[in-house]
Amino acid sequence: MHELGLARSIAGIAEEKAKGRRLKEVRVAIGPQACVERGALAFCWDLVTESTAIAGVSLGFIDADKDTFTVRELEFLEEA
Amino acid sequence: MCGVCGCADPANEVSMTDPETGFKVLLREDHAHDHGHDHDHAHPHDDHHHGHDEPNVHGPGGEVISLETAILGKNNEIATRNRGWFEGRGVIALNIVSSPGSGKTTLLEETIKRMKGAVDIAVIEGDQMTSNDADRIRDAGARAVQINTGAGCHLEADMIASAVKSLDPQTGSILMIENVGNLVCPAMFDLGEKMKIAVISTTEGEDKPIKYPHMFRAVEWVVINKMDLAPHVDFDEEMCRRNILEVNPGVKIFCLSARTGDGMDAWCSNLAELKA
Repeated sequence: MHELGLARSIAGIAEEKAKGRRLKEVRVAIGPQACVERGALAFCWDLVTESTAIAGVSLGFIDADKDTFTVRELEFLEEA
Repeated sequence: MCGVCGCADPANEVSMTDPETGFKVLLREDHAHDHGHDHDHAHPHDDHHHGHDEPNVHGPGGEVISLETAILGKNNEIATRNRGWFEGRGVIALNIVSSPGSGKTTLLEETIKRMKGAVDIAVIEGDQMTSNDADRIRDAGARAVQINTGAGCHLEADMIASAVKSLDPQTGSILMIENVGNLVCPAMFDLGEKMKIAVISTTEGEDKPIKYPHMFRAVEWVVINKMDLAPHVDFDEEMCRRNILEVNPGVKIFCLSARTGDGMDAWCSNLAELKA
């Protein structure tokens, strides 16, 4: 139920850390005890990034341990 | 701050009400407003250079940078501050979690009545709507503030920070934080409490702990309430205890009925022995 707020937090972190560079993918690390539903998070990601500076940026998942729940990697677009 | 509010639609607000004065303050305005001003980078980027002195964002495009930024970091920071405040002040903060209707508020009412004169208790009530629970707590003789989370499914640390400013709990007191009735989301959100306590009731069935293991793993005490109804609903206390201990072997279990008072003495004396 809280995935919308989580997606918003991830988007905020990604935008802040990208410092204006164009992103391709944001990868989050999720542990089995993090209580995060990936399907719901992916759904919310599209909703919260729509018509923002990071619209179209994909959200990837990395398996982690315990209750890990972090933004682990940002992948940038090739710049012309 | 918009933060990790959860399940909110754009028109949502979080508010805090003091039942004594009826005074209501907005803790969070709706999100449409929050998001209107957090995009510092709305200006075009082609005319200046980001990241030149930033080792992480050097180099050509297509690169990957590593972060390990906690997604709940903002909440956790505020929770840590709350915890420090509670320790410094000598206040025992307890985060009470359960599904709706397990009898949290009745348990608190009876606890307040029984401990009156011995331990000062203040209560933060979390519900999506209404200040009914804070009114009940106040009628039972304790100070309370009500937080309404709107569509939000749990309390967060910043709401507790605001409520604590208003309640100003005194040294040696117990601060009961009655979370929104929900056995899922509140497990994730640290509020700065000393410990979480789960309340379940005999009418919910013995398997609640194994159906919601995250929550039962996050708590230190479990109260099994409505024991007076156990014979009528074929409640198997032994099986319930086994299920609780299966997900959390170290937990302390109290069987009681807040309505009849059975088992309340053990609960209250354990509360009285807690140290901040």
